[in-house]
Amino acid sequence: MINTQLVRLGLPTILLAVLSLPAAAQSFRVQCPTSTITHPNPANSEPTYTAPTKLTCSVANGCGGSAGNVGYMVPAPSTTQLPNTVQGAIKCQQISGGDGYATMADGTQTYMFSFGPLSGLADIAKGLPGTQFPNVFNMPYPGTLLPGDPATTNGASDNSGGYSVGTPGTFAFNGAIGLVNDLAYLDSIYDISEAGSTVTVILNAPSFFKMNDPIVISGTGTCYDNGLPVGTVGCLAGTPANWVVSAVNVPNSIFSADQAFQFVAQISPGSFVIGLPDVNASSTAVVASLPGITGHVDPRQIIDIGVMNGNIPAPLMAFDEDDEFFLTLSNVGMIMRPDLFEQHTVHFHGYPNASSLYDGVPDASVAINIGGSFTYYYLAPDAGTYFWHCHITPPEHLQMGMVGQLYVRPRQNRVPSGAPLYAALQAQQTDLRTACNSAADILCSNPLPAVNTGAVGGGQYAYNDGDGSTAYDVEYPLQMHGFDPNFHFVGMTFNPEAFVDMKDKYFLLNGRSYPDTVNPSVQLTQSSDGRVHYSQPLPSIINIPAGKKALLRISDLSVTEYSTLASLGIPMHVIGYNAKLLRDQAGNNMDYYTNSITLAGGESLDVILDASNKTMYPSGSVFYLYTPQLDHLSNDAENFGGLMTEVRIN
Amino acid sequence: MSAQMMKKVMPMNRLLSLMMMVGALLSTVPALAAAPGITSNTSTTGSFTLTAQAAYLNQPDGNQVYAWGYGCSVIGSTPSFKPTLPNQTCNTMQVPGPTLIVTEGTSVTVTLANNLPTAAGNTSILFPDFSVTASCNASTPTGVQGLLTCEAAPGGSVTYTFTATTPGTHAYYSGTQSDLQIDMGLYGAIIVLPSNVPTVCGSLGVSSSSTNGLPVTNPGGNAKARAAWGEKEFRLAAAAYDHPGSCYDREYLFQFAEMDLNIHRTALAQVSDPKRIAACASGAGTPGCSLQVPTEPYHPNYFVINGRSMPDDMDPNFDSVYPHQPYNGNPHMHPGEEVLVRVIGQGRWQHPFHEHGNHVRILGRDGNLIKSVSDTYSPTAGTGTAALAGPLLFTTTTTPGQAFDGIFYWTGRGLNWDAYGHNPGSPDLAANLPCVPDANGYNTGAPTAINYFEWCQDHNKPLQAMPFGDVPSGGPATLPDANIFTNGAWYSGSPYLGPDATNRATGPTSAFQPSNTQANPGTERGYAFMWHSHNEREITTNNVFPGGMFMMMLVDSREFVIDESN
Repeated sequence: MINTQLVRLGLPTILLAVLSLPAAAQSFRVQCPTSTITHPNPANSEPTYTAPTKLTCSVANGCGGSAGNVGYMVPAPSTTQLPNTVQGAIKCQQISGGDGYATMADGTQTYMFSFGPLSGLADIAKGLPGTQFPNVFNMPYPGTLLPGDPATTNGASDNSGGYSVGTPGTFAFNGAIGLVNDLAYLDSIYDISEAGSTVTVILNAPSFFKMNDPIVISGTGTCYDNGLPVGTVGCLAGTPANWVVSAVNVPNSIFSADQAFQFVAQISPGSFVIGLPDVNASSTAVVASLPGITGHVDPRQIIDIGVMNGNIPAPLMAFDEDDEFFLTLSNVGMIMRPDLFEQHTVHFHGYPNASSLYDGVPDASVAINIGGSFTYYYLAPDAGTYFWHCHITPPEHLQMGMVGQLYVRPRQNRVPSGAPLYAALQAQQTDLRTACNSAADILCSNPLPAVNTGAVGGGQYAYNDGDGSTAYDVEYPLQMHGFDPNFHFVGMTFNPEAFVDMKDKYFLLNGRSYPDTVNPSVQLTQSSDGRVHYSQPLPSIINIPAGKKALLRISDLSVTEYSTLASLGIPMHVIGYNAKLLRDQAGNNMDYYTNSITLAGGESLDVILDASNKTMYPSGSVFYLYTPQLDHLSNDAENFGGLMTEVRIN
Repeated sequence: MSAQMMKKVMPMNRLLSLMMMVGALLSTVPALAAAPGITSNTSTTGSFTLTAQAAYLNQPDGNQVYAWGYGCSVIGSTPSFKPTLPNQTCNTMQVPGPTLIVTEGTSVTVTLANNLPTAAGNTSILFPDFSVTASCNASTPTGVQGLLTCEAAPGGSVTYTFTATTPGTHAYYSGTQSDLQIDMGLYGAIIVLPSNVPTVCGSLGVSSSSTNGLPVTNPGGNAKARAAWGEKEFRLAAAAYDHPGSCYDREYLFQFAEMDLNIHRTALAQVSDPKRIAACASGAGTPGCSLQVPTEPYHPNYFVINGRSMPDDMDPNFDSVYPHQPYNGNPHMHPGEEVLVRVIGQGRWQHPFHEHGNHVRILGRDGNLIKSVSDTYSPTAGTGTAALAGPLLFTTTTTPGQAFDGIFYWTGRGLNWDAYGHNPGSPDLAANLPCVPDANGYNTGAPTAINYFEWCQDHNKPLQAMPFGDVPSGGPATLPDANIFTNGAWYSGSPYLGPDATNRATGPTSAFQPSNTQANPGTERGYAFMWHSHNEREITTNNVFPGGMFMMMLVDSREFVIDESN
């Protein structure tokens, strides 16, 4: 039972404990498996959606109906899936937790506690999500990373004429920063024997090969069966040179079990290599592990790139329903505050049925120390506009800038062009995980629509609406936030911070205030490391092709007050709120039109700006999003700017 | 939790006061929350005699804050408490005021005696959701007509009568000089219970043979599970409204408010001022017998839930340490239970109340159930289509003077790994439990099992690639060396839910590094979800983090017996 006395006791205890902690060893790592239980085959693209992933029990014995059933549900063989594959994919992203500087619209450089990108750097610099498929993420950087990248490699500089963004795109790498090949192990073979397709390898020394390690067997000699030299036709010529360890600690008649392992000499299903043990005739037979990619990193690269690379907002994340998302946070420390031992976490705000471990609340789970990495694992929740932030000392870390955007795209985006959306939503009811049944689940938000509009797929949608009511053409994440310059100065200069008097003076849309919000390019800041960094990659210009609709994924992470955003001219069509479709339990849409919305910190809302009327919203016209909280139309002392941006009809 | 933050912001005298409080408080027995209140403190149900007077509130920084609050008048008889909780009391001053619990349709009478310092002048109560008749229209007691309602003069009293027309949670608060009196603490709640509880919601009491009540897919299952573990009933009703969409298993009441210490100090200084006391000796209304407390500019520095700041809010109801703050904020639940969250904004600011763990379905506001246009349910006939239309929110704004009712649940559905860490190869029988999905996918057919309401699609599915301990392997995640973690006080010690799974994952001692303060001890090992104001600066107490509007919702596996009354 809860015991707050212990908490009281604990706080001073932790304080003392932290003061006496030795520095922990660095333990940076990244994780991005190429396959998992849920995605057994490499999943580097999003398949179309016609039905949920068909599941089957992993063993014949049974999957949980009675005690002793040892299986669990796995995707059925791909040949039985519709349309021929399992749904979703694996997505990965790496971020740094540290510090950095941003440039406010009045020119002030503001110190931040902040997250920065450690994967998808080129995409982030373009204002795109940094979320990647494994085949992009699991790619070591081919050259030499430079502090300040991607800005440094792009040639960004602070010259006499002001900042130059350099040549955007020169740095085109989107993989994980720091990722390196594993070290290859090599050992000599004493004996190698074959029973059926299973090959037992006995080494001259204890084996350090682990289960599933890819290995290469090589050597010279002749095949016993036919006397041909190894490598010639008929003796291991043209066969793949690598296999995968299938058993370790194999008892054998020669040495101790820890010197032996086994593998299955299989080159394709049902096809096995025979005669491999014949290389045993050679005194040169060796086994080597492959220099694989399993998440080992070079910490120097992570520090080179991660220190002072803070972004506001924090790196953008976006993925699709049915995805598995591996998010690695690497805590690089805050170089401007060497007095702090600050941990960081990721709180995926709004994740339904969360586990404590991956909820990011340090009190209820674990917090990541400096020099360490932690990989958060999420199965994509229901589609919607979420957001994320650090949950360490929230009044401090959020105010200081550790806030970011995150959204999940609906299955409905993957419905084939021309296929009925209503039927696709009906198909979702056939998997209890993706079903939404108002009668049995009070938190069901998108039951089948009350009216079947006959809408068909092929577009982009905010939610699985089944009626096309959330269709849009272009989307813009838009995050409202506020900076209190006094608090940031105090936060940089080792002074005690006061929360009661916190008062925001910069009112930010995607980390910038007007007129920076309408600067179409990445925004730079020269930081205390002397490097120019891409500190604020996201403009907030809402470009709408004439006659089209824009989805605004609006979130608010102000830590001090409610914020209002109004649209001058184009009505705001509110279709979702707090990452849920606005629909009642009977399937009636509850969307509404307004010209202003008000959000608290910790809320999100989906608005469609409908410019389909070209007469009212002709090409070339400009409208405004701004706050009617008039004192928020300022940049600290400048009585001009603040929470405002432009909607441009192209 | 950031110990570093404590270091940065906490003056040493406060730290010392915190440490000294530890010894004083270790003797108290923790208990849980519920939504305690009184059904009367006279001989008539629905009839209340309250008093408004002054006392001091305890805050975790060691401050004693001078405040005004409503309480039970000694003139009434013994209060009738609901539910029954240990040490229950209705003091003559408490913040929030006594929670008044009545049934829909009841004629409610509230007599308020003004025992505030004479210089404070008149006081009153507004019941904004009801049509009130006050004693300004009657002979006794003689109220004084004020701007908004009938008021009680110093030493006098006033009586309000109304019919509790609408079920749900409602606010009451002072209607006299509200800018001062509400900040001082004159507010409280009325809970109106529905008169036509739908049959499908079942009835009060736990029973191993229930066939009505939640969950919808296996009616009565939750009551059977409570009965199996000997858990007591503490609900006020089986439904929040006369509607099948409002059934619930547990309930909690949270009243959000702020306090500006300057207002309280100034009020105390003025009521203690000898000149004012002398003037007031000649009676209320004497020139000089009044307060001039500035309430602007407003700089609140205490952000309280039920009058307490974190961590005090997680201490028991009626804890003797807080004689004038009897109600806590310490919610617990089991997977699959539906929790009724009753929330009132009582201050003058809005607070975005963020419930970690899942969304909340808003049922209604100020007793107004939000129904779909397609809803045809008839409460009296108990027939028709029932469909709600309130929004689903992960951040529920509290608005001054407004109450809302919402339903929260947690099941672990969609995690894609077995939260119980079931391991079919284990010799531990609890690691081998079956999971038989009901029509909604949950293991609700086994109310006595510790994995009652497990999400079966992930049953046996591993989380960790290579775990330590007796949990399955082969999952997607590799957890790093525990030495690069800092563990939280509410961390269960493993990714898994409940003591059985955590013991299997970490060993029976569950000694995790570097500092385990065990707010979530070995017998519990629940998932803790922080429920807090997302205006994050409000999770502080007088500039100290952590504090303020901050509590933990503990989702406990079934083997941990949630006892609201121990």
